[in-house]
Amino acid sequence: MMIGKYFVRKLHTSFSLFNVEKSMLATLRKKTGYTFSNCKKALELHNNDLTKAEEWLKQQAQSLGWSKATKLQGRQATQGLVGVLIKNNTAALVEVNCETDFVARNEHFQNMVHNVANTCIQHAPKPQGDRIVKVCFDTEQLKDLKTNDGKSLSDHLALMIGTVGENAVLKRAMCFKVDDNVHLSSYAHPAGNNGTETLMGRFGGVIALKQNIDKEVNLDELGKKLCQHVVGLDPKKVGCSSDIPEKNVEDETCLIYQEYLHDENFSVKEILEENGVEVVDFKRFGCGETGTMEQPLENVETCQ
Amino acid sequence: MSSFFTARSIAPVFKQTLKQFIFNCESIKFQNQGKIVQCVFTNYTQTRNYANEKKVFERTKPHCNVGTIGHVDHGKTTLTAAITKVLSDKKLADAKKYADIDNAPEEKARGITINVAHIEYQTENRHYGHTDCPGHADYIKNMITGAAQMDGAILVVAATDGVMPQTREHLLLAKQIGVKHIVVFINKVDAADKEMVELVEMEIRELMTEMGFDGDHVPIITGSALCALDGKEPEIGSNAILKLMAEVDTYIPTPERELDKPFLLPVEHVYSIPGRGTVVTGRLERGVLKKGAECEFIGHNKVMKSTVTGVEMFHQILEEAQAGDQLGALVRGVKRDDIKRGMIMCKPGSVKANDHVEAQVYILSKEEGGRSKPFTSFVQMQMFSRTWDCAVQVLIPGKEMVMPGEDSKLVLKMIRPMVLEKGQRFTLRDGVITLGTGVVTGVLPALTEQDRSALTEGKKAREKKVVEAKK
Repeated sequence: MMIGKYFVRKLHTSFSLFNVEKSMLATLRKKTGYTFSNCKKALELHNNDLTKAEEWLKQQAQSLGWSKATKLQGRQATQGLVGVLIKNNTAALVEVNCETDFVARNEHFQNMVHNVANTCIQHAPKPQGDRIVKVCFDTEQLKDLKTNDGKSLSDHLALMIGTVGENAVLKRAMCFKVDDNVHLSSYAHPAGNNGTETLMGRFGGVIALKQNIDKEVNLDELGKKLCQHVVGLDPKKVGCSSDIPEKNVEDETCLIYQEYLHDENFSVKEILEENGVEVVDFKRFGCGETGTMEQPLENVETCQ
Repeated sequence: MSSFFTARSIAPVFKQTLKQFIFNCESIKFQNQGKIVQCVFTNYTQTRNYANEKKVFERTKPHCNVGTIGHVDHGKTTLTAAITKVLSDKKLADAKKYADIDNAPEEKARGITINVAHIEYQTENRHYGHTDCPGHADYIKNMITGAAQMDGAILVVAATDGVMPQTREHLLLAKQIGVKHIVVFINKVDAADKEMVELVEMEIRELMTEMGFDGDHVPIITGSALCALDGKEPEIGSNAILKLMAEVDTYIPTPERELDKPFLLPVEHVYSIPGRGTVVTGRLERGVLKKGAECEFIGHNKVMKSTVTGVEMFHQILEEAQAGDQLGALVRGVKRDDIKRGMIMCKPGSVKANDHVEAQVYILSKEEGGRSKPFTSFVQMQMFSRTWDCAVQVLIPGKEMVMPGEDSKLVLKMIRPMVLEKGQRFTLRDGVITLGTGVVTGVLPALTEQDRSALTEGKKAREKKVVEAKK
């Protein structure tokens, strides 16, 4: 049947025209990167007018992406990336899921993660006085956030789904906004080069530090190491002196009582005291983890 | 009994050679002779009957491991199902349904959980193990545990979509797990037209060349796995599958069998037998060991030459031992105390001791029995491989730490050189905990005396050095 179709077309169009057509399909595909079937459809609809076909494709991309996204909606997405971005006094920790870790390694997906992180930072509420503001976004809230170009994040997501052909989900996000006295540090693991300023990995963490005494400490360096500790040992809370340390240090979930990742001879508390630093708050995301989102909606949690 | 075996097994070989002579008179090369010899060995049939419900595996063809890679929607599973269906029509495979292969089940290999589907089938020429995994991490784990080392791969691309952005990542994976031979199957041609297929083919060749494969000569087969599965349109259906398998047969070379390699025996025990001399025991890992063979002992910082004066198995003299045999070898002119467990007895010059290697390692998660905490560079571990173990210092290139449950590239510096080659598997332990399993991916330049003494230095000394170097 296919061969039949091919011959019929060959009868209708001269051989040279057929060649032109072929290179046009190639050009269009190369230029736009859309699937061959869509490129072909575009050319057929516009009588092989390359410019018109390209325009149509670009217009259609959004709806094609959407239809693809709807089609794939039911499929499980448990792989993906956690992205962390810090800009001035704001930090964003986001998780975007996809179906296979191959896609998570692709730049299209990584750009998407960066876009989400960047958008979250812009939508973080203004700090109210001398406080840390923590705000969470869930899937539904993330979808409606508007990016710089006026489109919503879900539009961008649909476009990406259209390109990579895999289901993807904006899982969750969290923003920290602090005043000048508090230092924010971030870490993503395993850290790879992704060409954006957002750190990405299967795990990500943000930590907020406050220095109480006047001592020259490289807060960037210390913050990064503490953040690595948070990502590596997954503490559940900062802990304070009223908490009782676990008998077995391996089971410890209070940050301050844990053995310091970079030097097991010290506890985190000792490291903090040595540098005169206090951990105000931290947050860790593990990709695909099924943790409960503490306080979902627009509740703003404030810490001292 | 044994003569009966040989006679029976050689007969088909002669048939085959005769065929080759008749059809290929002009093009008979030296290589063919090698193949003939190999055929003699491979025709060795094993007839052990463990239980009646299990079929006895007949080893009559060389074995080769392949796998499918490609985008989730491009029909990897359909293709695998189609291959078994088409080959089952020739009584060469058991037809598997799509659902049987899909959702790769969790498997435990060496205590590690992997999502992988293993399928077996054969063509007229070879027997195949077919691997299909859902993700990058699963292929890596599969490589590390050696569950089925892939000798080649089939890249599946749908003609309707063409190359996807992540196809690049698929090819990167192939490189990482050491797959050099890829055959491409352009699927779903029933839904595309000829020019599209041609363009997809061009695109694939371009991308493969860019990724460092021989893009111009990669065999590309076009067809429709679905048609083959449904038994429709044989031209693009079953015939395409047969064409694909013919390419897989020829393009992916048969891996060298352990039996054909120079002999190697990891020493398990050493005994001194009065009046006879020194005997080493162990399982012959590869090759064939004959009485009178020159040999070399390597390991624990020593290299010694000797000659095997006798080979025994179960207290009986053996003319020649083959890979897999548990044996004792009488060696001339070496004292019992010269040889230690962990040394390697091998054909002189065939292996070397190394103390600095690069490896791909999977670190067990807590659930798999590993440790709960991540580790950082400069950690000390005990490395076990073959019959030896050795203290190593672990460096993590490009990362600050490794978490349990993830795979990573590691650089291992050993306190003394041991026989360690590319492709060798090992485990890392810390006290009573097995931390991870790995495979050597490359040998790095040997450590200098200075490097070695630095291995035992503490953290303080290292930091001091860094500070001094900055000045």
